[in-house]
Amino acid sequence: MQRHSGRCLATPARGSDKVAAVPSDAHAVPSFRRAVVALSGHPNGQRLVRLVAELAKAHKAELIGVHVVEIDWSMPLDMDVAGRSEEIQRVLDVAEGTAESAGVKLEPVLLQARDVGAALVDETVEREADLLVVGLAYRTKFGGDFAIGRTIPYILKNAPCAVWVVREPIQEEIQ
Amino acid sequence: MQGRKPADRRVRVERPHSPYFRYTGPGQMVAKAAAHTPKTALGRTWARIRGVAIGRPLASEEEAGERLSKKKALAIFSSDAISSSAYATQEIIRVLAVAGATALAFSVGVSIAIAVLLAVVATSYRQVCRAYPGGGGAYAVAKENLNPLLGLVAAAALLIDYVMTVAVSTASAIGQIASVVPELGAVKIEIAVVVIFLMTVANLRGLRESGNIFAIPTYAFLGLALLMVGLGLVNVVTGAAHPITTPNAEALSGGELSIFLLLKAFAGGSVALTGVEAIANGVPAFKAPEAKNAANTMTAMALLLGVLFIGITVIAHAYQILPTVGDIPTTVSLVAGNVFGGGSVLFVAFQVATALILFLAANTSFNAFPRLGAILAVDGYMPRQFSYRGDRLAYSWGIIVLSSVAAFLIWLFGGNVTALIPLYSVGVFVCFTLSQIGMVIHWRTVRESGWQWRLVLNAFGAVLTAVVLVVVVSVKFIDGAYLVVILIPTLVALMLFIRRQYDASRRELSVRQDLVFRTPHREERAVVPIPGVNRAVIQAVNVARSVADDVRAVFITENPEDGAAIRERWERQVPGVPLVVVESPYRALTGPLEAYLDVLDSAWPPDKPAPITFVVLPEYVARSWWERILYNQSVKRLRSSLLGRPHTVVVNVPYRREDPTMFERAHAGSSEDAPETEPPEDAGAA
Repeated sequence: MQRHSGRCLATPARGSDKVAAVPSDAHAVPSFRRAVVALSGHPNGQRLVRLVAELAKAHKAELIGVHVVEIDWSMPLDMDVAGRSEEIQRVLDVAEGTAESAGVKLEPVLLQARDVGAALVDETVEREADLLVVGLAYRTKFGGDFAIGRTIPYILKNAPCAVWVVREPIQEEIQ
Repeated sequence: MQGRKPADRRVRVERPHSPYFRYTGPGQMVAKAAAHTPKTALGRTWARIRGVAIGRPLASEEEAGERLSKKKALAIFSSDAISSSAYATQEIIRVLAVAGATALAFSVGVSIAIAVLLAVVATSYRQVCRAYPGGGGAYAVAKENLNPLLGLVAAAALLIDYVMTVAVSTASAIGQIASVVPELGAVKIEIAVVVIFLMTVANLRGLRESGNIFAIPTYAFLGLALLMVGLGLVNVVTGAAHPITTPNAEALSGGELSIFLLLKAFAGGSVALTGVEAIANGVPAFKAPEAKNAANTMTAMALLLGVLFIGITVIAHAYQILPTVGDIPTTVSLVAGNVFGGGSVLFVAFQVATALILFLAANTSFNAFPRLGAILAVDGYMPRQFSYRGDRLAYSWGIIVLSSVAAFLIWLFGGNVTALIPLYSVGVFVCFTLSQIGMVIHWRTVRESGWQWRLVLNAFGAVLTAVVLVVVVSVKFIDGAYLVVILIPTLVALMLFIRRQYDASRRELSVRQDLVFRTPHREERAVVPIPGVNRAVIQAVNVARSVADDVRAVFITENPEDGAAIRERWERQVPGVPLVVVESPYRALTGPLEAYLDVLDSAWPPDKPAPITFVVLPEYVARSWWERILYNQSVKRLRSSLLGRPHTVVVNVPYRREDPTMFERAHAGSSEDAPETEPPEDAGAA
């Protein structure tokens, strides 16, 4: 697969309960045929899925929702952690339902890995996806800031395809 | 799975629930379509057949909730009322013709009197639209303002009304077609039944009336009928309308014109009012402001119906049209034939449009009847099945019952509209009267602005419709109205009976809200009736051991030698479970087992609470329908005889054929004392 440089598309939002502003002409957005959507379990995830689903519908693209459970090095990687957790299953199920209500099928994938970023990139490569979408949470504490963490920089650096980072609306925008 | 770097390994976690369920909240799941897929080959085949016939199952959230504009609503809700202009004139003429051709002159006067009644009823129903923006069906209005019993009377009348709408409209539509192609008159019942079947399938598929396709027949009919009335009236005014010789006319009997005959003609023609209440029932389907739009649509509908009805009657009188044998050709087709010219394109188009609007009118009942049935079922007056929605979100039970009864009526009355009409009007005027009385009470209770004149208006409507009801019942009693007079109280009694049954079962099953239920302390014991020693029996005994400490097997036999043989084998192979051999010299099975259970009960210490007795029945699972005949007959007998027994739980333990080694591994203690693996020839206590 050809390696692309990571690309960041910050999508502004217009309110917490609304889908982030989908361009009026969805075809104006660079097209994609298969997208991996990183599902973190953050409340913003539903908004993210709705946005990507609207775009995927316009482009008739496939969606793969991936939730990665990070397993500590002290435990075996194949230990049954995620399979039994209803909460983890719900992250994928809610995403699947959200996409379905937008008229798009989302394939839910549950992974256990040592590192979330690496697992997402590897899954994107294996699925031959041409887009990886991740959400960026906004933390209101200490004056408010985006929690970029280490996963997004890793993905931006290593993903062999386009990467969209969809930020959560900041408090001022909601108000 | 290995990632691109040595340490980047990941494990894909299986999600076994995913194909069938979706988590939506803590401890909450939603079943997906796959969860409803039948597991057996027969079930899958049946599902495929149903899929072809009525379409794929729809989820509840897929239900369309479209709001209707006034134009669309007029077409959809008025088809029943407006289409009745196609046969109302015919009913007046048929009655008056008894008194000879001169009596037909009164047809216009009678139709004007009915139009006045229509104006009063429509004005009264405009009030219903405003007072009940959530939908003011006669049942809802009467139940809320009068009492539940009168609500049920209204419901029973409505149910009859809906059935009659299907029967009369379909029969009349076939009559219109047969007026163009008379050869079809010979098979009109067959055609009517096929049409009802097609409507049933379409409605089971979840047919909605909101589509534009439903507006086309109504507006086509309205356009052509208004054109016909306009041209016909011009002919009448200019003197171009000359009396004709009615084809296939009935012989005039030359009776005397009397008040009774005029009242009978009025009662016959008042069938024009059927379907007027549909708009008041469907107020929530209108676009905002719902009540105002519905009221205005009601006025438009009444005006159109009045113009068409009086117009057709005037023209029919001008041409001196007489009633025909078997209603073929119909009066309205003779009017159209004389105005447009028989065999002309406009005539054929009018007949087709008339047939279509009549079919559409019949179809309105396929929405209304099941919905009312569902409301009554929710209220506990109809079996609960009426409130269950099928694969396509349609109330399948209501649709099937409606179509079956309507088809039966058409067959019973030979597809004759005139024969069906006497059953029709009674229910309609019962609903009108109760609804108007209910509105009088409503205005007196709410006393909002202008309540006095609204009350007077509804009171006038109530009195007028009550008088018409009495007239309709008295003059049509012998013709068939007596059936409705019997049927309404019968249906009410049936609904009250159903409600009483549901109330009784609810009382029996009710649990006090303040009680907290903890683990029971009652002792358990298990009794396993066995037909011999086989895998099904061993599995049942092991299940019994898992639910109770006190387990005993009972072998009922007519042959003492069999008992001894079984005992020897049982004690060797199933140690720890006592075997009771009951000899049954009269070859009975259920009686001795019940008697044995009685003995166990009587032996229980009276100071201790009675134990729960699990009767564990080994059952051999049949693979196909014909195997079910061969096996488990005794199990069925035992189960049915024990079902009502107090403190007794009947447990069926099905044995599915499995690999002998697997069975031994699952149930046998060790290889030394493993049971033999003979085929279960005497399985299932059979």
